[in-house]
Amino acid sequence: MNTAKFLELVRDELELDSDLHVSTNLKELDEWDSMAAMVLIGLVSNEFDVNLTGDDINSITTVQSLIEKIGTERFE
Amino acid sequence: MGVKIQALEYYFPENKVSNEMLRERFPDYDFTKFESKVGIMSRYWVDSNETALDLAEQACLKLFENIDRTQVEYIVYCTQSPEYILPTTACLLQERLGLSRTVGAFDFNLGCSGYVYGLSLAKGLIESGQVNNVLLVTAETYSKYLNEEDRSNRAIFGDAATATFLIKSNREGLKQFAFGSDGSGAEKLIIKNGGTKNSCILNPETKVYGSDNQYTDNNLYMNGPEIFNFTAENIPDFTKKVLEINKMELQNPDYFIFHQANSFMLEFLRKRIKIEKEKFYINMADGGNTVSNTIPIALKRLANDLGNIAAPLSVVVVGFGVGLSWAGGIIEIDNSLI
Repeated sequence: MNTAKFLELVRDELELDSDLHVSTNLKELDEWDSMAAMVLIGLVSNEFDVNLTGDDINSITTVQSLIEKIGTERFE
Repeated sequence: MGVKIQALEYYFPENKVSNEMLRERFPDYDFTKFESKVGIMSRYWVDSNETALDLAEQACLKLFENIDRTQVEYIVYCTQSPEYILPTTACLLQERLGLSRTVGAFDFNLGCSGYVYGLSLAKGLIESGQVNNVLLVTAETYSKYLNEEDRSNRAIFGDAATATFLIKSNREGLKQFAFGSDGSGAEKLIIKNGGTKNSCILNPETKVYGSDNQYTDNNLYMNGPEIFNFTAENIPDFTKKVLEINKMELQNPDYFIFHQANSFMLEFLRKRIKIEKEKFYINMADGGNTVSNTIPIALKRLANDLGNIAAPLSVVVVGFGVGLSWAGGIIEIDNSLI
């Protein structure tokens, strides 16, 4: 997936007010909570067929770290 | 010989808590997204002097407006909010309702998979010729287990009770059931203290999870993302298995009613399994996640929405959650539910 497209998808799904960049720390977003985590797990499962575990969610910080968790080879 | 649902009623406590009321209690949280994603507008919580048994009694009294209580031969009572550690709450319910001393009665401890388990137990008791009918009760007051500062779970969980009367029938109204269990996920949804392993303690350590939600080991703890993961990974294939053992294809059942956990998760599952939207019943805005009560409440609401059920409708019911535990089956509903 195109990284810009992925950023847009995450921004839409999490209904973020602010801009999202690969360097944005997801955990520092006002919108971040356990519901956002659930939405993110659903999005990644649907788009990449990758199931993020609770440990994955705990260790994720920036969007870049999420991309690495999914697999950088899946992005262009 | 088969078994059918002869009547079904549910009961909420009187204390209704709207999102507006939660907003006042937790002013820092924006409930707008919660409403659109999780799909809950109000829930009902018992008062401090009210218990799940009180709710169960009320649900049964509603049922007895149409069912002769002297017929009841067996009480199967699903709860994780028992009146005491012992005796079993079902015996107390027998006394409260003035049921015959010849009834069989027991509790079983399951959460969101509990109603489907209860149907399967009732089927076994009746089809094996042990009794002619079963009063299946679900009753839950998770609100008593929630920390005052646990905003997420306070927004999700509500209290309720339901009563279902199942009788011997010429029709096979309860078809085949399937089950699943995975104790390795026990700590994903748990109340650690108060059983025999750990007593409830005074001044327990306050812990924080998610976005500033607080709890202690005396309270209910749920790892929401992990529970979502378990559901997303297991329930689609499990639903296909339920169809298979009933020799049905995805398009055959009239309706699907899953445990009403939250509407985002339900929509995710619906799309993953590819169930038509019109057949996938979601009705949880009023009441929220009432654990083992959600499936019977949704069954009753579906029947009421339909108004008239000319011919019996087949409904796939699937419950999943604390345990981890899951169960599914296919049942028929008709006008006796209205």
